[in-house]
Order: sequence, then C-alpha cells, then structure tokens
Amino acid sequence: MTRADPTATKSSLTEGYLSQPAIMAHGAFDWFQFRGTLNLEGLTLKRGELSTGAYGEGYVDRRHPHAYIHEALIGAEHSFAGLQGSVFAGRGFAPFGSDDPMVRPFEKFPVNHHLAQVLERVVTIAAIRKGPVIGEFGVFGGDEPTSPSASPNFSRFGDSWSTRVTLLPFGGVELSGSLANIISPEVRSGHGLDQRKSSVVARFNRETTTSWRYAMLEYAHTGERDQGELANKLSSILGEVGYCANGVIVAGRVERTDRPEEEQLADPFRTPRPEVDLSNLGISRWTTVSGSISSPAMTVGWGSMRPFVEVARVAVGHGTPAGIFNPEFRYGATRMWMLSAGIRLRAGSMHDRMGRYGVALPSMEGGNETMSMPDMPGMSHTSMTHAPAKCAL
Amino acid sequence: MRALSASAAVGMVAFAAACSSDSAPTGPSLIPAACTGINLGPRPATLSLAQTSPAVLHTLGSGVDADRYSAEIAVHGSLAYMTSWQVRKVQGNRVSIWDVSGNTPQLADSVIVNGAITTGDVAVSDDGSLLVVATEPTPGSIAVYDLTNPRKPQLLSRFTNDQTAPGVHTAEIGRVNGKLYAFLAIDPSGGATPARLVIVDLSTPTAPKQVFVKITGNPFIHDTYQRDGLLFVARWNDGVDIWDVGGCGTGATPENPRVIGNVKTIGGEVHNIWWYHDSHGSKRFAFVGEEGAGVIGSSSKGDVHVIDISDPSAPTEVAFYHVDGAGTHNFSVDEANGVLYAAYYNGGVRAIDVRGDLAVCSASQRVVDQASGKSRCDLKLMGRELAIGLADAGKPVFVWGVQYANGNVYASDMINGIWKLAAAR
Repeated sequence: MTRADPTATKSSLTEGYLSQPAIMAHGAFDWFQFRGTLNLEGLTLKRGELSTGAYGEGYVDRRHPHAYIHEALIGAEHSFAGLQGSVFAGRGFAPFGSDDPMVRPFEKFPVNHHLAQVLERVVTIAAIRKGPVIGEFGVFGGDEPTSPSASPNFSRFGDSWSTRVTLLPFGGVELSGSLANIISPEVRSGHGLDQRKSSVVARFNRETTTSWRYAMLEYAHTGERDQGELANKLSSILGEVGYCANGVIVAGRVERTDRPEEEQLADPFRTPRPEVDLSNLGISRWTTVSGSISSPAMTVGWGSMRPFVEVARVAVGHGTPAGIFNPEFRYGATRMWMLSAGIRLRAGSMHDRMGRYGVALPSMEGGNETMSMPDMPGMSHTSMTHAPAKCAL
Repeated sequence: MRALSASAAVGMVAFAAACSSDSAPTGPSLIPAACTGINLGPRPATLSLAQTSPAVLHTLGSGVDADRYSAEIAVHGSLAYMTSWQVRKVQGNRVSIWDVSGNTPQLADSVIVNGAITTGDVAVSDDGSLLVVATEPTPGSIAVYDLTNPRKPQLLSRFTNDQTAPGVHTAEIGRVNGKLYAFLAIDPSGGATPARLVIVDLSTPTAPKQVFVKITGNPFIHDTYQRDGLLFVARWNDGVDIWDVGGCGTGATPENPRVIGNVKTIGGEVHNIWWYHDSHGSKRFAFVGEEGAGVIGSSSKGDVHVIDISDPSAPTEVAFYHVDGAGTHNFSVDEANGVLYAAYYNGGVRAIDVRGDLAVCSASQRVVDQASGKSRCDLKLMGRELAIGLADAGKPVFVWGVQYANGNVYASDMINGIWKLAAAR
C-alpha cells in the first residue's frame, strides 16, 4: 500500500499492489548452469507502482512493470591456471552498475534505476576472476522492453556493450567501476538517443549469525547522445545503509538524481514511447530521503512474511538545463511525501546479487561468508554461504 | 599559347555573366521522365552574392500567452490561428485567434478542442473556408471548423478512428485535382503500433472520409507537404519520400498513391518539407528541416537541407544551412521575393535568400560532410543569410512556427506567444 502526496495529479493518491511477484529458478549440472526469473508484474502492476520521481519505459512517477522474462540465462564456468572464468548468455542484466533494487533493503526503487542498472537485455557476458579482481564484459542489444510481454529486437544484439571491474580488497568490502555504450535504448527500431554510461560503486556487507550490516554508495552518470553529439547529462549519487538485529531491519537511503522530463499523455503517469521529435522538457533534480523498518519475519514452513513500513521525503528542483519543466505546474508543490506499508512474502530462496552471473558473483569467493546478501538463504550454489535467516528480506 | 589565352578569356566572360544578383533563369524548362505531368521549369540562374552580416528582422509587436505553450501558427487575412502544446498551467487544448491587423497582435477569441492535450498543427484551406486542427494524444483526431466567420470558427466535424491513435502529430491540407484532402502523420506507440500516414477526403467537411492508410517512417513519419499532386513525406531517419498523388498523370491519386523517389538527407531526422516554386517558374528545389535532440526552452539542433528534385525519382541533397547552438523547426517561404523564413527555436527566426540555383557554389562555399563524404553548398558561406529575428527579444524565445503573410512574418514562440516581425524584403 502506498500513499503519495501530492502526485502528478496534483493531489494525493493511495493505492495497493502485489509488487515484485517473481518466480526464481537456478540450477547446475556439471559445468552447465541455468538462471531464470519470471517476473509477473505485467499482471499485477500494469498501471505501474506509485513511486514519485521514478521514471522509465514510458512511465513517470510510477515504476514500470518489468518484463515477464526478467532473467533467462544459461552459462558455464571453468577454472584454469589460477583463473576462474564464466560465460553466460540469454536475457538478463548487462554487467553494469549496482545490484538490482529488488534485492536491496527498500521495497521502493530509487529514481536512478535507469541510470544505475542495465537490465532485461539479450546479452552475452564473459567474466574472469583472479583473486580479488573480477572483470566482466558484455555485449547486448540496446533496446529496452516496450512492454512486459514484448520480445527483444533480436536483430539489434551486439550493438551495445558494457564492462565492469570489481575489486574485493578485504572482507565485506567491494569496489566496482563500470562503463557502457548503449545504442538507442528507448527506440526499439534504433535511431533514438544513444547512452554512454559510467558508474562507481562502493559496497560493504557484513553478516554474523545474528546480524547484518550493509552500506552502499554509488555514483552513476549517463550522457545521452544524438548522432554522437552530447544532448543531455544525467547524474545520480546515492547512499544507502541497512542494519539487522534480532530480525528487525532498519534502512536509510539518500539520493540525488537527475531525471529527463518528457511530454505527458492523457494519463499523467505515462510518456510517449517512442518519443516523437523534440519532447524533452528539461532536466529535473530529485532529492529523496527514505527510511524503512521491517519487523521480524513470521515463518511458516518454507514461507515467510515480513511486515515493513517505508517513508520518503521527496524534493524536486531544476536540473541543468532546466528547460521549461516547472514542478509547481506539474505537482502543485516541490516537496512531496511517500508512505508505504506492506508485507514481504517469500517462499524458498531468492537469487544472490541480482545483476551478476557466474564468477562475477563476489560470494563465489570460497568460504567468504561476508560477501553474500542477507536475502539469499537457500541459494543452492555449493560455495555459497547464507545470511542469517532472521535477516532475510 | 594564344589559343589557351583566348579560351581562358571566354571562360571568364561566361562566369561573370552567370554570377550576378539577378535570379532570372537560364535554359529550358524540365519535364522529368519520372513525372511527366509536372513542369519543373527552367534551371534557376547562378547568383553571386556578397557575404554580409545578417540584418535584423525588426520586431513590430507581440501578444503574450503565459498559460499555455504555443505551437503552430496559420495566418489568414488579418487573423492568426495559433495552437498550443502539452501542459503548462493548463493543457494545450486551445486554438487562439489573434487579430494581427495592427503591429501588436490582439487576442480576438479562442476555440477549445475537447479531449486534446496538444493541438500541435493547424492549417487553413486555400479558399479560407476551413480550419483544420490536429490533436494528440489518444485517440488522436482532426477537428474541422467552418470559417464563414473567421473570428468565430464553428466545429463541423471531428474525425477520429482506430488509425488516428495514439495521436495525429501533423495535419496538412491541400487540393488534388480540385478535391480537398488532409494528410495526417500518426504517432507510433510502443513496438506494436507503428507510425503511419492517413489521407482523409475533406470534400464533405461535415463527414471526412479516410481514403488511404500506410505504415511508414522510421521510427515515425513527422510531416507532409502536398503541392500540384506531389506529396513529400518526412519519414524521419528514412528521409524524404516523393509520392505521386495525382500530379504526374499516371493515374495515381490520394486514394492510390505511387512512390516516385526518396532521398536520405545528411543527419536524417527529417521533420518538415517545403517544395519551393520560385517567381520565375522554377520548381527544382525543396527545403527539408532536420530536428535533432534538444531541450525545450534551452537548446535545439538541426539544419535546413536543400534537395534538388530535378529528377524526382532520385532527388539529391545539394546545400544546407546551419546555425551553431540552434536547430530549425517549421518553414514558410515568401516565394515572390525568394526568402525562406525558418523557425529556429532558441535561435529565433532566420531569413535565408533562396533565389537562384542553390546547387551551384564556389569551392570555398562547399563543405564536405565528414561522416558521409558528401559535398554540399553552405548557404551561409554563399552569403544567403539575410536576417535574424528575435535575437534582440530581450528574453529567451523558442520559436515553433513561422509564417510569411501580407508582407510580414508571424512567429509562434512556445514560451512567450506570438510575434509580428517586418519581412526581410
């Protein structure tokens, strides 16, 4: 349940959803591996989830539903001469940026989702690891989904690339830097604006048998280009922390993110896809401070329920260039609230570190139990250890 | 040696005769094999113009609209019909009617188009009897008004169907063999609903009738320009199509058009077109607007391209006009005086001398495009940048549309409203 006040309707809205319904599967047979996520938001979130500041894939101030086939990849791993290598191919995350917000402490996605992750692409990823250094390189089709059920434009496979280098200097600490060149993500047939992206992420994760500490700081930048010429610059800086003790999870997030403003349709939460000619109203800058608390999970057999409350104070101002966007005209205010309450339902286990595959999973480091997320109990990978069940999201 | 000297002297005389400021044409008229129903007239003369600093298009007055973003403008007689775009304080569902008989435009009345967020395009029929307004978004429509009293348009009909969704981006109207048609550019939506061109028979304006539809454009079709039975189609990154809709004498009609040719202009993003008929009967050139990326109110990008359609089956790009830091939008041409007026968003209004042969220039006036390797004449280097308007407005402007009429130039400025300027000639 979310209450947003005000919204793009210039009034408050209260709505309820089944958000992030997903079925995850993974398996391994000898060297062969499979990883899949069926995301059912296309059935439960067709209008999008109220989320002031969110944007992407034709939605604004609502988070868009993800593709039914969120992840479906096959891959293989091999070790030689002290190196570990893996290759995965299918539909999933390109190696870029931070973990998907779905496996982070907040139910609400940050504004910077489309700046900090590259997902649901037809992708091939090669990863290599030696000691504390992981390198990944992926090639993929730049087109983002046009609807949950839309198939990718397979003819565009290979027009875009991304790469990420991750360092694991000592227990629980992870540093990564990413670059990406994405061709026309918002126009499926091509010829839209291209994106050059960069990201730097510092992440800390430490678990004991009874507690969990987590922190993440990221900077993400996207330059939108028209025929090679820079058209817009979008930046984001985000920090979030989480702490769990005795099954109670508290988390905080601060974010400042640029958002491109676009034409509205009759539904003020939707924008045209593809855009038709010049429709960029300017850049807005969103500052959001969020807090979350979850009570201990109630477990019944394989399933668990964890009630949570999240509150966010949202401020919007002019970015650069401001263009003609006026938040007072859009919202009737420049400061907004968002309050969410709900219950996380889970049966079985989730994927580890959504957005990484094969040897790119830092938790693959044998015996380093400080590297795995707390939301992954039950992950079947033989070398993976698990967070305390009390702290699983 | 004597023979060589004589030959050089003859050559210099010929060059001096050709390079003048007189745009009177030379050579025979051209009836292209690809369209024998059209006479493209004689080849325009080669002009030699001195390179001078552009003059200022003198601002005569303005009318302010601070509630809506202004969009396209259509001037007829002493009235200017100006549409509106998207949502400012209120949505762009209004067509403002400005009395432009004086130097300062006065708001005379307005029409609200129900259900529209954008009324992005507007046109008045050649006989002044009808006003046609395009609407976005879904379901998309054209609203047809009677202009018996031009100050009080009366709604005759609203044409909409499943082919006009999710919105009519532009609606051009024109007469083909005596019958009035509207040519609608329909927006795409997602990956499943592609852009298309819809042609509507307006001969009974109370009951418009769809006569043709075709999926076209990459990723969309933006605009059309119909004249003398040729339809120019702006297909964005697929360039400019020339269609025979009744002008070539082949039996093609708006109901059954025939594609004659196509040209992909450098940079693509083909936004709008004007087929130029000069005062000497030459019809060799068309002007193509390119719309690049930008931020409304702040920046824009895109050149004016000149295509030579002497062979309509194989048009070629021959010249361009570029403004640093600004891009073009819609055009209007004073054909009697050979002046192209281009709306240039944050660059105001640009007046370009388009008399004479635009495909002929000296080596120093040619520029080679690095990406394509194509060589074109630079109209600015040819001394054809006549004047700039609204650079002295004293505030930011973002000019969407421009129209030359009655010896003046009228500009619709998205941010400020309507401007009336003195013409360059």
